[in-house]
Amino acid sequence: MRRAISAPVGRAAASDGAPQGGAIRFVRTLWRKSSVAGLAVYALGLGGVLGLASADWATRGGYPFGGVQVGAWTAWPRAGAASADPYTRAVNARRGEIPLAVGEGLLMTASVDDAGQALDATCTYRIGGGTPPARAWTITVAGRGSREPGRPALREGFTSTEVLRTADGRFAVVLAPDVQPGNWLPSPRARGPVRLALRLYDTPAAASVGSLDRNAVPAITRLGCAS
Amino acid sequence: MRVVSLRVVYATLLGLVLAGIVHIAAILAIPVLSEKDAISRAGTSESLDHPQSIYTVATGDDPSPPEAWLPIPDPAVAVGVCAYDLSDGPMRVSARTGSLSLSLAAHARRGAFYAVTDQAAVRGALDLVILTRAQYDEALADDDENDPSRDVRIVAPDTRGFVVVRVIAGLPSQRPAANAAVQGVSCTTDTPTDEPAGKDSSGKGAGR
Repeated sequence: MRRAISAPVGRAAASDGAPQGGAIRFVRTLWRKSSVAGLAVYALGLGGVLGLASADWATRGGYPFGGVQVGAWTAWPRAGAASADPYTRAVNARRGEIPLAVGEGLLMTASVDDAGQALDATCTYRIGGGTPPARAWTITVAGRGSREPGRPALREGFTSTEVLRTADGRFAVVLAPDVQPGNWLPSPRARGPVRLALRLYDTPAAASVGSLDRNAVPAITRLGCAS
Repeated sequence: MRVVSLRVVYATLLGLVLAGIVHIAAILAIPVLSEKDAISRAGTSESLDHPQSIYTVATGDDPSPPEAWLPIPDPAVAVGVCAYDLSDGPMRVSARTGSLSLSLAAHARRGAFYAVTDQAAVRGALDLVILTRAQYDEALADDDENDPSRDVRIVAPDTRGFVVVRVIAGLPSQRPAANAAVQGVSCTTDTPTDEPAGKDSSGKGAGR
């Protein structure tokens, strides 16, 4: 009797939710058939699916915690330390990453400009100013995912040795899709989001990231967009 | 009806608590179970007496070879790894400093536990010895007071791990030299009786 009533209800619920419909109907059928066992399966399934999915989501991309915001840049001082948080260690393990240790250097990344807008490959940016004290640094740009196949690899970044500087020792790198005078960093792909990475090698800043301020890192200014 | 819906609420709450437990367990288990992490991948370099290049910088028209497995490597830094297993004996990493900046970092399961750059080199040589606590005590006891060792001795938290060698090529013309500098570092297992020469690799093979 109960089953006869519940079946159409389950079907109605299944029809409105497209991907979860099967799961909901399955859970409902189980629940009607035997309340306690069905609920136990439901609870276990919910726990397993939600737990694994959230763990996967939290460790899929970049580091979820541990970043220190400095202007548009995020510094990751503890990414390679033995005291790194479990999420950072899980992300490193999944990506096969070997992060820079504190005594080795400091990684800083930026995916937005100084105004807070996401960095886009079709736009032109000026990345200029000074860097925190370091023996050497590199500034590199990367798109999301793997490299586009047909695109020639012109230049992925500048090092502190090769970058052209003004008389006062500061520098300005122009990230643009088209050729620019000076330090031109070609956009890594035709469109889509890009990320900048500033790696400081042998720097005292790694131990005192909190003391860095906006003026110590290169400013990222948007100059214009193609479309 | 009310009883049933209450039960569903309880089951959902239980499921959410379970989800939290599963989430935490999964996060903690990923570094242990991962087969793609740096320690597992570096393991193949254990039988070598020089670092295994995991990222050689592109030189001229040659792009970086496909052995690169670092997700977003620095295109100007050549990287090599030496895996160690301290149950075979202490690991000695010797680097000769050149014109390029070089850094060594020792990693274990939990992350980097020591890093040193070539600025710490004594007379152009950087000798790093990674050992367990017991091996460290032994080395201290064996020290000759008249001829103190210049090795930098580091006690490792685990028996397994790897040492990362990074050499920065500031200019494109320095890139071949940076790749060569990574290969020029030697990683040998110190055996207590023998000199760390050709016997290492055979000793390692027998230890397996």
